[in-house]
Amino acid sequence: MNILINILVFVLGCLLSVGVRAAWPDDPFGSPMWAYNIERYLGSDARVVHDDRVNLRVPEFAEDSAQVPLTVDLSAFPEAPGQIVAWVDLNPVPHLFSASPGPQPLTLLALNFRVQQATTVRVAVQDREGVWHIGSRYVDAAGGGCTAPSQTMSNPDWERHFGTIRGGAFSRAEGMRYKVNVMHPMDSGMVGNIPAFFIGEVELRQGNGQPLLLSMALSESAAENPMFVFEFGQRPPRATLWLRDNNGNQFERRLGGDL
Amino acid sequence: MISARVPRILALLVAWLAGTAAAQAPEYDLAARAIAPGIWVVEGSTENFSRGNGGNIVNTAFMTTGAGVVVIDTGPSRRYGEALRALIEETTAEAISHVLITHHHPDHAFGSQAFEPATLYMLDDARAALARDGEAFADNMYRMIGDWMRGTEVVVPDNVLAPGVLEVGRRRLQIIAMTGHTGADLVVFEPLSGVLFASDMVFHNRALTTPQSPGLLGWRAELEQLAELPVTVLVPGHGPVSTDLSPLRQMADYLTWLDTLLADSARAGLSPAEVMNAPIPARFDGISERRYELVRTTTHLYPDYEKRALSLLPE
Ligand SMILES: [Zn+2]
Repeated sequence: MNILINILVFVLGCLLSVGVRAAWPDDPFGSPMWAYNIERYLGSDARVVHDDRVNLRVPEFAEDSAQVPLTVDLSAFPEAPGQIVAWVDLNPVPHLFSASPGPQPLTLLALNFRVQQATTVRVAVQDREGVWHIGSRYVDAAGGGCTAPSQTMSNPDWERHFGTIRGGAFSRAEGMRYKVNVMHPMDSGMVGNIPAFFIGEVELRQGNGQPLLLSMALSESAAENPMFVFEFGQRPPRATLWLRDNNGNQFERRLGGDL
Repeated sequence: MISARVPRILALLVAWLAGTAAAQAPEYDLAARAIAPGIWVVEGSTENFSRGNGGNIVNTAFMTTGAGVVVIDTGPSRRYGEALRALIEETTAEAISHVLITHHHPDHAFGSQAFEPATLYMLDDARAALARDGEAFADNMYRMIGDWMRGTEVVVPDNVLAPGVLEVGRRRLQIIAMTGHTGADLVVFEPLSGVLFASDMVFHNRALTTPQSPGLLGWRAELEQLAELPVTVLVPGHGPVSTDLSPLRQMADYLTWLDTLLADSARAGLSPAEVMNAPIPARFDGISERRYELVRTTTHLYPDYEKRALSLLPE
């Protein structure tokens, strides 16, 4: 099945990318989806460079294809990052998240994703000029992460823990790190007849009419029971997490500040 | 069930396509080394599973008793089990009476087809674990070692091994049930010669593995019990045989470091990818596969450390 899907996706990618490619650098990993996914997520006229300062950390292999940790460390990025888009090239739905940081500089973001098979992973960060800086990694995997039923749903008492949110605030030399864990099946909608049921919207709010610290759109590649890490270069006075899933469930929790 | 077979068929197809030159099946090159009167060890490498080594990364053993050979573990595949049985029959004329499978991991339990079903023994909880995880392990093994697995099927032993003393001929084997590595781990002590068959409760100069471990500190506590036995030769599940207890000290040191790393990282709010990249102390330079296993252990165990370091946020 995977091979067939790949071939199909590759052929589609070739057909769709003919003639529209901007002057994009070559992909050091040679993924067949490089140009296609740039066009799909960043646009056909996107300006793109490879940049190690988008420090993407992903293990070389997925020990658990349903929970592959990803950390993007932007502490070496020379300016406050603009839009951030992450995708997993060979997943059925490659998009993982799109994030828009507010005025507080985002220095680190982490969450777990699923992989369907060995694939490249990308994080693109837009600078002030509109240029996308891309960090890439390759993760080897036995696969099945997207089409495996969530462990939450197969656990008979998942409803008891559904929506349970744990969190912590961790002081950094400069700035602040928040870590949050949400019990949610995050069903991708790709398993048998289990409908999609996942958190699609994430916001970190300062309140008091202040701009958002971060807003994030999550897609089906995100892993179940998500564990988020957000770090900001300056300490926000307060932070509140707000989440909404595609069934309309909303969650809101204070993360710290003004304690 | 059909879908579960697909990866296996694909793996065989790939192995077949890749192995045009390898018309004849690969062979395990097993050797028996005497470590005490009537006791032999068959040592594997300290690598990870690969198509190069056929999964021969494990130590198996056998001993004569005067009333039948006792075998400890059957190796990673049917073909390994057959090679092990041939080696035993070359080494001694005594018939095989007991085959003790130490735990449900494939590198220890997948050669069992080569032995008479009536001779196979396992701790009851380990039998249940093998019945539960065996097929998934088999799919994974086909992927990792390919053609070496040909013909291998999961065999859950019928005979339940009870903790206590197992008397076979002149030997009174101490059957010790532990939990640190997989939740159901057999350790065998042979008091006549002082040989301790620690299996995967002890990895020596090879990083320990944690996919089914119930906890690092419980594992370390059980090693303290083993240190009280009058051991003259220690046979670890992976890595070189030792004539002293230094592998137990290495294990305790490594388990303590791992637990501290995970706990401190969780308290500092680190992400799992940051933990996977953490520095490993230089004193562990002699332990193979340590970075690879840190990635795996972080995946298996760090989520619980993380949750314990966070507070429940009220609505
Ligand atoms: Zn084991």
